[in-house]
Amino acid sequence: MNPSTLIITYQRGAVLCLTVPDVKSYIAVKPAWAAPLTRPGRYLALLDAKGDEIVLLPDPKVLLPASWKAVEQELQARYLTSTILTVHSAHEESGATYWDVDTNRGRHEFITQNLQENVQWLGDDHLLLLDVDNCRYEIPSVASLDAHSREIVEDVL
Amino acid sequence: MNSQPQQNASVLITLESDIGKDGQYERRVLEVTASHVSVREDDGSASFKAPIAEIKSARNEPLVGGGRLEVTTKSGELLPVLTYSLQQAAQFSEAARGISQLARGEALSINLKKEITRCPKCKRLLPEKDGICPACSNRNKTFWRVAGYLRPYKKQAVALALLSILTTAVNLAPPRIQGILIDQVLTPQRDLPLLWLLLLAWLGALIFNICFQILSGRLTAFLAAHTSADLRAAVFRAIEWLQISYFEKKQVGAITSRVTQDTDRVWQFLAEGVPFMFSNALLLVGIAALIFSINTVLALCILVPIPLVAIVSGFSWQRVEQLSHRFGQKWARFHTNLNETLTGIKVVKAFAQEDFENNRFRHRNHELRDSGVRLDVYWFTVFGVMSFFISLGSLINWTVGGYMVYTRQITLGDFWQVHAYLGLLYGPMQWFAAVNNWFSRAMAGAERVFEVIDSQPEYYGDQTESTDISGNVSFRNVRFGYDKSNPVLKDIDITAGPGEMIGLVGKSGAGKSTTISLLCRFHEPDTGSIQIDGKDYRDIPLQELRRQVGLVLQEPFLFNGTIAENIAYGKPGASFEEIIEAAKAGNAHQFILGKPDGYDTMVGEKGSKLSGGERQRISIARAILHNPPILILDEATSSVDVETEKQMQQAIGRLIKGRTTFAIAHRLATLRNATRLIVLEKGEIVETGTHAELMAQQGVFYNLVKTQSEINEIIGTAG
Repeated sequence: MNPSTLIITYQRGAVLCLTVPDVKSYIAVKPAWAAPLTRPGRYLALLDAKGDEIVLLPDPKVLLPASWKAVEQELQARYLTSTILTVHSAHEESGATYWDVDTNRGRHEFITQNLQENVQWLGDDHLLLLDVDNCRYEIPSVASLDAHSREIVEDVL
Repeated sequence: MNSQPQQNASVLITLESDIGKDGQYERRVLEVTASHVSVREDDGSASFKAPIAEIKSARNEPLVGGGRLEVTTKSGELLPVLTYSLQQAAQFSEAARGISQLARGEALSINLKKEITRCPKCKRLLPEKDGICPACSNRNKTFWRVAGYLRPYKKQAVALALLSILTTAVNLAPPRIQGILIDQVLTPQRDLPLLWLLLLAWLGALIFNICFQILSGRLTAFLAAHTSADLRAAVFRAIEWLQISYFEKKQVGAITSRVTQDTDRVWQFLAEGVPFMFSNALLLVGIAALIFSINTVLALCILVPIPLVAIVSGFSWQRVEQLSHRFGQKWARFHTNLNETLTGIKVVKAFAQEDFENNRFRHRNHELRDSGVRLDVYWFTVFGVMSFFISLGSLINWTVGGYMVYTRQITLGDFWQVHAYLGLLYGPMQWFAAVNNWFSRAMAGAERVFEVIDSQPEYYGDQTESTDISGNVSFRNVRFGYDKSNPVLKDIDITAGPGEMIGLVGKSGAGKSTTISLLCRFHEPDTGSIQIDGKDYRDIPLQELRRQVGLVLQEPFLFNGTIAENIAYGKPGASFEEIIEAAKAGNAHQFILGKPDGYDTMVGEKGSKLSGGERQRISIARAILHNPPILILDEATSSVDVETEKQMQQAIGRLIKGRTTFAIAHRLATLRNATRLIVLEKGEIVETGTHAELMAQQGVFYNLVKTQSEINEIIGTAG
């Protein structure tokens, strides 16, 4: 399957459809990153309505611009992981840590129940925080945060 | 139905979502009326509106970190309504269910329980929905509730309080004796008999002091151990009665920590914190009174550094706690890493990953080292500063007090008394700031314990009522979903009677285990009913019902004890002869006799000292002894070799005689003798019949058998 020939469009409202020219069409296609945290922007799987893989794209940008636009729109709607840009405060009380942060989705407050279980280091510098409802917050690089935010993160963790 | 109070009476459902149209954190409101589904933006504008009459159904599309409410129109169009975070997933599941009900023209029947996510008092987020706000919880109330556990030990508690007062009084005596000694014997160099008398009094004070200390230590140990044991017992009993859904939501570790860590915090505070606070508070009051009685000016001067010590201590303790906590976390990570590497050493060696593991270990080891250095460096710095202020008190005493002695405003004995009291005063001061933290942690632990104790238990019904069940089971139009909008069982109708074996068949996730879970009443149907002997099973006392249902699981759970004890678990008080009979019927007797300790063989934790087949046969023997009219075999013969399976099949054949049996088996051939097979697909019954009938039908079951035969053939060829 040649990725650069795939036609992906929205049809009938919110249904993403994939057409492999002269071969087959799929309706209700779902895009899913294979490794969204460690390999962001790469290895995108397109799944059929049953969840079976149609194709795995190591570099999704080889898709036609219009197809990529539709996929990107769907990805944005499907991945609600927030990226933390600034940490205003983080303090611990009785085992729970209260965070007040600026994210790519706006300012937000959340609580991590147990730092041991709800904070995952995905690399030396890459953090994933899970709040009490399992909502996800990512810090792709602690070193890239401003000095104040970095100090708070290092202090708490 | 529990809908929200509305401004407009015709609005049936109102729910706020926290994700805006463009994915930003914004407030949007879903409104469902009898005629429309609409979404109102934060600025009041409507961004979505669809007539109920045009909607076929509603569903929740799971997203990463949230979900999307979608409706399918009667023309087949899928319309996204709004997106929400996981915080609101349960509520929007109910909303989807409600919309579907309205679209089908049914009455709205959903449970939109309002979850409290912020403290109503201080508006801070709560660590758990509907939970306790650590900042606002009434610690005094919790403290008195903990103190309530002292009630059975009133005498000991009163004795301990009296002993603390006596210990304080005796502690204050030696400096006073020293002062008199200096002023009345040493300075004037006369009255030698008084010297001996005072030394005798000092010795007496020392002896009393040590006796009181030993006694109060023993009493404290008794009280703290008994109180925390009572608290542990109460929380364990409460946990046992909790609903299965509580265990599904919480990790075992988190529940265990309520019984261990949290009660331990309370114990530590009772054993060390309370005596420390009480005796040192008395000591402080006593010392201050005595110093002021000697000379007010001197007392005021030497007390100047006390606030400084308190401030340094107050500021630094939080940081010390933080660094200690971090050090503890690094220890835990280091420990996990080491444990994992050593447990998996064969894999490490097999993949020649010694260097990789060594690097990982070094990394963790350095983290631990650096964290330890940070803690110790901070602690010694703070300790140095506090020691300086404490020494300052002594210096002030020598400066002001020395001047007062020189100018004869006070005697040398008075000066010495103050000096000695200072030593007693400043020591506890260093730790006083820690007490608040100590208290907070203990009370937070106690609150978590009380939260479990106060949780809603399963409804057990009238425990005194005894019901004999013959085993006629019927599922009537049963519908159930863990997530209410996503049913995993739909319109299930099954009937079974004594002597019948019903085989439940289907792919993973078809709903087989959920059916079993409903039968054991670990969960209850959302709609429809399960009847036993013509009676709704919710009317049968829960323990009575479970006593009459026997379970043989794929991974049988054995408790750490002897084989005999594990078999007898099915019938407490069973005679040894009964145990042997059950073991024989379970084809376990022979292998048990082959073990050096026979029925007294310890099975190890979770039965780890026995093979899978042995564990399984013990669990069958346990079920035989239990003698339930209803029996459940959940993959009971999987993961054992053919010979063992043959023996187990014989045992199962004996076990199911005269009982109503429900069996799930991965190997479809083992269900050949079932009275009826029920084939489930996506939560619905798609086929029913005997093995032969279903094979002849060449439907879903036939395909499953065919696929399995092909796989077995491939495995056989590969082998």
